[in-house]
Amino acid sequence: MFNSSRLNRRACLKGLGASLGLPLLETMGWADAVKGRAAYKPPVRLGFMYMPHGVIMDQFWPKSPQSFLKDPPPALKSLRPVLDQCLMMKGISGVPISPFNGAPHALELSTWLTASLPDAAKRNEIHIAISADQIFANFYGALTALPSLELATMPQTHKENQEGLNEGYYSHCSFRSPTQAMPAEINPRSVLNRLFGQTGTAGAEVRADPLDRQMLDLVIGGAKDLRKRLPHGDQQKLDEYLDSVRSVERRIAAIEQRQREAALEKAGLAPSKRAATDSPPIEIRIPEGDKRSEYMEVMCDLNILAFQTDTTRVSTYIGSTPNGVSYPELGFSDLHHSPTHHNNEPEKVRKVAAITAFNIAQFATMVKKMAAIQEGNGSLLDHSIMMWGSGLEDGNKHTRENLPFILAGRGGGSLNTGRFLPDVKGNQGDLLTTLLGCAGVPLDRPIGIATKEIGEMRA
Amino acid sequence: MALLLIGASPWISAAEEDAELKQLRQQAEGVFKKDVAPFVREFCMECHGNRRTKGGINFEPALKAPGGASASKKWPKAFANVNAHDMPPEKADQPNDEERERFLDGLASLKYLSERDPGPFVIRRLTKMEYGNTLHDLLGVDASVADELPDEVAGAGYLNSLSPMQTEQYLSIANAALDQVLGPADHPVKTLPASLRSGASETEPISREQAEKWVRHFGRSAFRRPVTDEEVATLLRVYDLGISHKLTPMAALRLMVKAVLVSPQFLFITPAQTVAKGQKIVPLDDYQLAARLSYLLWATLPDAELAALADAGKLQDPAVLRAQTQRLLEDPRSRALFDGFGAQWLRLGELKDKLFDAAKFPQMTDALRLAMYDEARCFFDRLVRENLGVEELLSGKTTFLNAPLAAHYGVAGVKGSEMQPVVLRDARRGGLLGMAGILAATSFPNRTSPVKRGVWVLEQLLGEQVPPAPPNVPALEKQDQKKVAHLTLRQRTELHRTDPVCANCHKILDPIGFGLENFDAIGQWRDVDDGGGKIDAAGVLPSGETFATPQDLKALLTSRRDDVARNLVEQLLGYALCRQLGGYDEVVVDQLMRGLEGEGYRMKDLITAVVTSYPFRHRRIAE
Repeated sequence: MFNSSRLNRRACLKGLGASLGLPLLETMGWADAVKGRAAYKPPVRLGFMYMPHGVIMDQFWPKSPQSFLKDPPPALKSLRPVLDQCLMMKGISGVPISPFNGAPHALELSTWLTASLPDAAKRNEIHIAISADQIFANFYGALTALPSLELATMPQTHKENQEGLNEGYYSHCSFRSPTQAMPAEINPRSVLNRLFGQTGTAGAEVRADPLDRQMLDLVIGGAKDLRKRLPHGDQQKLDEYLDSVRSVERRIAAIEQRQREAALEKAGLAPSKRAATDSPPIEIRIPEGDKRSEYMEVMCDLNILAFQTDTTRVSTYIGSTPNGVSYPELGFSDLHHSPTHHNNEPEKVRKVAAITAFNIAQFATMVKKMAAIQEGNGSLLDHSIMMWGSGLEDGNKHTRENLPFILAGRGGGSLNTGRFLPDVKGNQGDLLTTLLGCAGVPLDRPIGIATKEIGEMRA
Repeated sequence: MALLLIGASPWISAAEEDAELKQLRQQAEGVFKKDVAPFVREFCMECHGNRRTKGGINFEPALKAPGGASASKKWPKAFANVNAHDMPPEKADQPNDEERERFLDGLASLKYLSERDPGPFVIRRLTKMEYGNTLHDLLGVDASVADELPDEVAGAGYLNSLSPMQTEQYLSIANAALDQVLGPADHPVKTLPASLRSGASETEPISREQAEKWVRHFGRSAFRRPVTDEEVATLLRVYDLGISHKLTPMAALRLMVKAVLVSPQFLFITPAQTVAKGQKIVPLDDYQLAARLSYLLWATLPDAELAALADAGKLQDPAVLRAQTQRLLEDPRSRALFDGFGAQWLRLGELKDKLFDAAKFPQMTDALRLAMYDEARCFFDRLVRENLGVEELLSGKTTFLNAPLAAHYGVAGVKGSEMQPVVLRDARRGGLLGMAGILAATSFPNRTSPVKRGVWVLEQLLGEQVPPAPPNVPALEKQDQKKVAHLTLRQRTELHRTDPVCANCHKILDPIGFGLENFDAIGQWRDVDDGGGKIDAAGVLPSGETFATPQDLKALLTSRRDDVARNLVEQLLGYALCRQLGGYDEVVVDQLMRGLEGEGYRMKDLITAVVTSYPFRHRRIAE
């Protein structure tokens, strides 16, 4: 059963349409650049953005490798200025969902970054696999204030039971461990607070109280005492708690570290991470109304800002969940899901195409901004891999043989962009494994159903 | 007021129950050998046995251990598919009607093969709503202090996990709450607010001894159980940490409270006692039971009376537990039971943010949406408060309206925005099936959905399992538009039923939905549908009963109060236990149903039965 949702009004600020300044970037490592120091090599960032229900295939896939740049398909129009920095591939298959054949939508999102199926015997709980973004976070998360950033447009509370699967599979793409879904932020204001502390007023400081870190340390000690006297199953639950508290501890330590570095940079005693030519941080405008395009744009801006300030290096943004949203801005009130079963009827096809183009346009706005942000010897986009995609190819038939996705950014020189590869043989696991390799994450085992890396992607 | 009495003894005695169960188990073993196993071998094993696992189902383990946990998950699926004639597939050998019937009857008794077991249990984190309410009760801050936490699903689908983001939010919420109550860290209040005083000095300086005494008291509430000496020592280390960093005693106390608020003992409901090695099933201790009860009915921590009973070890006494259930239900805080459980059960939670076609339904304002929700809430609350029978859910004539909703229904004489009790004289309204909130929640943004309404009645009211639509089925909009242009929605939907793949389910679903077609997508009465065709609300249920109007349909469904009651018990039990039901739970539900039937399944009795049930009061220790 699909239910439509209005954009959560609470997610947008009441009466706060004004732009928020970012007074504290100095403490976050944005001290003035010092000339003549050794160049700092920006790290690779990895971002994922999702749309459910698939695309209209003949409006999405380029006609040929040759026509990709000159004459891109209609769905990609918004990306035209940066297509030379994009890579498209056809032939990446999704995870076959048998034995959950009655749950095509419950699994499109949760298999997307795990390339795995839930454990059929424990289907009513979360039991899947760690997702690619969290593998990245395990590797690089300790170096940034936030290990990873999870964003979504809709609350993750859809309640529908398909094939006895836990409802959480519907609305989560990020899994910190096989049993732990990562909730996403839907409120831009909270995201801003989380990234940069209590910054509602100019000049506010990041709250990184070293006493809190030591206090948490003592709390962890107490939790370990408690752990000893609990049964095994409860102990595992407590381990999730301990893991999350340690990560907060690390985050506070990382902020302290950045503050020390910034002080040294400012005093001229250490090289700044920021080159003189680097762009200033982008401005965040939190919209007043509940227009989906404005809301998605601010979420994308927050993602950019988090990457630009090296507050985190990996993000997921669930642009919408498969539980059916509608797009009044496009002039019709149908739920996204309804017209995807279009049977080639023109009116329905038009609607799905419009929704797809709308979602890609949000992604395009983000990557175009990233391409315009100077960083080191290139742009922020040059040092990133941004992936937009869906967990189905054809929503009409629920097929997933050729997952639609777009990669933008050169990944610090690891990806060979400006190309369309029309016949890649591989699966979603292969793709994620390769992307993590490009982002510099050494894997000890392939992701999900992967069997290989996709060499053709590499520069 | 009838209290629920199961025999004269406190609980059914274990011996009595065991003897009864033993007999039922022996019967079930016989039925399994005679009617179930041969059927599976003959009709199912070709695809679901030996080394074949079509559709992910293999019955071999289930044949070997028919009462095991994994088997108990397979049998309901087998029941649904064989019952719907989806299995065995058409091309395969078919059982005759009698064989099919005996197999289905046999499956229903297999639950008695399950061992007595309260089901999987793991310590549970407070939900967002519970966490906010708990902070409110503990510190006196507004519960909205927790708003920034992600929204979540409570009950059976609850994701009992914790991410770094949530933990960080707990820390920042603790800071915000303490700023309000004790002032900022660098400039705390001089004296403790009266609500937090309890035994501590009213003015500075707070001595370490006072801090210890104070935190023992505060921790008892916050942890919902006595604080152990080890835990006190940890918290005092936090206090000392503050002092050693030159904090004032009050600021050190503040830091200690912050430690309480991010401790697992606060964020999770944890046991007071250590379980002895080797035990597989234990009763919940009084503190856990008190917390389970108050979080279910109030979504907050136990109040002083309930906490004192836990301290005195009185909650293992069923009379006391029942009396507390009654008391909690009578308290206004029990609206949490509807906001948490009721709204989810009736699928009303999503109404608030659901989109409706603004051009078609301009009257669907926020005020009207809220009134729709509140109607259902007040209605449910009254049934519980007055301990009315479960059939009132369908037939109840007393409802709650305010001016906007009354206008929506065409009821005259209701003024103001307050919800007020109204006895309906219009037989078309009254009961859940005449409520705009329910009718709107089961519609599309721009039109009704007979299928969604049919599924809602079957699943949410009657507790039947509707198999998911097979993949690649055309939705309604996909039909050839020219061919269907002149048809009403009903006629178009009926096209589904000419396709054999769709027919089996839709001949069950659709008539119910058609019976409600007189209500449009926001629950207004209408005699003609969007295309101008006259609404035909007549239909036949699979059982052969016929109806001509929504009122007839309502009467038919009201007569199925046993099913409605059983479903409500199951839904509430799953919600209370935060897990899906299975295995031995079915035996438990059977027992509860027998106890409730005589009095006509009264609502308060029903809730009391769930919270005094075996799985609510016990836990299994995971191996």
